[in-house]
Amino acid sequence: MRLAEISGEKYFFDFSVEETDLLLFVLNDYPLVPEAHMRLRKKEDPEKHEDQKLLDDALRAQRVSNKQQLHSLLNEKDRFAAAEGGFRAGFVRGEIELLLQVLNDVRIGSWIALGSPDYDEEEKYVKDKKSLRFFITMQICGDFQSILLKALHGGPPPAKK
Amino acid sequence: MPGPETPEVLPDIEQDNQTDSRANLDAGFLVICWDDPVNLMDYVTHVFQTIFGWERKKAEHHMLEVHNNGKSVLTRESMEKAEFFVHQLQKYTLHATMERDSK
Repeated sequence: MRLAEISGEKYFFDFSVEETDLLLFVLNDYPLVPEAHMRLRKKEDPEKHEDQKLLDDALRAQRVSNKQQLHSLLNEKDRFAAAEGGFRAGFVRGEIELLLQVLNDVRIGSWIALGSPDYDEEEKYVKDKKSLRFFITMQICGDFQSILLKALHGGPPPAKK
Repeated sequence: MPGPETPEVLPDIEQDNQTDSRANLDAGFLVICWDDPVNLMDYVTHVFQTIFGWERKKAEHHMLEVHNNGKSVLTRESMEKAEFFVHQLQKYTLHATMERDSK
């Protein structure tokens, strides 16, 4: 995947066939972070139970909304247009923000499912096919996120050779 | 001024029930982002820029604080605003919480 061009408000990325499959594969896992994972306060306060419930409800609604937007985006006709070597897809900034949120949820959710390993210890937690899948998903999501972030913050795309 | 035969009517003294509302508005809550081994540094910087509207330099400063010190106090706000920011950060799956400022 690489940033091909920025035209107006849209960022166009070129994907190989395999990269397109991988992107759709990881996005299909969303949402993956368990609902109870996000806490409003580090220390539970029984008097603030209502506040935590409000946050839980808001995040749940956000996940539903994101999933609907993602479904629309990925199923839009010609969103992934055939191009040399694979596909070209254009996204406006808001759609890139959505992809970043979704990819990070899948990355964090995979990390939690792996057993929440410490820095550089992920491989130690790979014991079977299931954990291997989570480990690979984490890496794939991180790679896609890095490319999207570089597109947003890294200046114009490199000139095509 | 009332005459001697006119009963003096004293106004009701209303109980002050505004304490909770005032606590909500007082800027006494810290929004804290905590370190974890999984969120990418570039991603954390981007989220700080997006949510708080910070320049890249300030966002990177707080990101490095999170990374090096284990946490960073991002802002001090009223309870309602602090809850709002924590929600925004958690939408991006950052490890963020709020706590009352002890100062």
